[in-house]
Amino acid sequence: MRSRKPSVHKQQINGVAAEELVHALRTHQVDAIVGERHIMLVRLKQAEEELELSRNQLRALTASLLSIRENERIVIAREIHDELGQALTCLQLGLSWMAGKVTAQQQPVQDKVRSLAALVTTMIRTVQRIADELRPGVLDELGLVKALKSEARKFTGYTGTPCKFETNMGKARCSREASIAIFRIAQAALTNVARHANASKIVMSLMVGTTHLVLTVHDNGKGITREQISSAQSLGIIGIRERVLALKGSLNIRGSKSTGTTLTVRIPRSRILLGHRPVSS
Amino acid sequence: MKSRSREKRRVAPAGGKTYVFQLFVAGNESNSTQARDNLARLCREHLSGRHEITIVDVLKDAATAYTHHVLVTPTLILIKPLPKVLLLGNLSDTRHVLAALRLIGGEQ
Repeated sequence: MRSRKPSVHKQQINGVAAEELVHALRTHQVDAIVGERHIMLVRLKQAEEELELSRNQLRALTASLLSIRENERIVIAREIHDELGQALTCLQLGLSWMAGKVTAQQQPVQDKVRSLAALVTTMIRTVQRIADELRPGVLDELGLVKALKSEARKFTGYTGTPCKFETNMGKARCSREASIAIFRIAQAALTNVARHANASKIVMSLMVGTTHLVLTVHDNGKGITREQISSAQSLGIIGIRERVLALKGSLNIRGSKSTGTTLTVRIPRSRILLGHRPVSS
Repeated sequence: MKSRSREKRRVAPAGGKTYVFQLFVAGNESNSTQARDNLARLCREHLSGRHEITIVDVLKDAATAYTHHVLVTPTLILIKPLPKVLLLGNLSDTRHVLAALRLIGGEQ
């Protein structure tokens, strides 16, 4: 209800000022709509609560699925690295042994052994790359900062577009789950930049402040529209948002044709940092 | 004021005009419950001894709602004294309700 004087000039619906009706609906003061053939219960609040509950359940499910996926990746990466990698190394050693046994008169056999050895070397590198993509060893061994630094370097190598990485993290460390999430967010953001931005310069930063850890990925490309940000087709952004929400953080994406796109992820420090000692970048 | 489709509450006049209300609600939904409580309070405070309230639960008596062209619940209709007044919502804005019912800002 709101205070206003009734006016005879206002549009009326069944004797009710239309404005009054709209206000009652907007302020959620309506329980039911009475029609000629039916009574429709609005139950606005209840519907909102149910929707929120459903959203929370979906988020919990997504977080659980992401966690399961990461664990599966670890297992698959280990299997590939240990089993396949070892088998290929044995094969490589065997081929080296064969190459030593082949005489100079057996030129075709020697050539074949050499080409097979080269193929096995390529296969070993491929296996290492796949295992690394599934689960970057550097993330587990050297931590988030080094992993992001390495990712920026790789991005520059693959795309030819310079990607700079800045941080003030110092010796501060993130929890395992947070490290994985932030790393995957950065990976997804860089993938989006490579696919859509048409940028010539990228700056990625991981800064720890008094209350939040902030990951920023900025590019000077063609920008992003609001429609693209909220589109159901933008699976990369949806994935990023889910990971951010799982850490109780916030995501902000801003884009314009003149300044490019900036993705900012803010995560409460208390949720992710194991130790903290910020230093200048 | 719960299970019956129509409920009448009459308080004997103790001077002044008797105000006759009809309040259309939807069961025990939140706004309907608030409207019932707010109307009872307003009558107690401003129309003590001279009001009559009929509560119509549209979930049980839709016909009366159609007859009175009620669009949504809660809806309060002041039947008497004329002119008829129609108010929507949970009646939580006391000043607005009192003004609309001509209980403040003019002659009662």
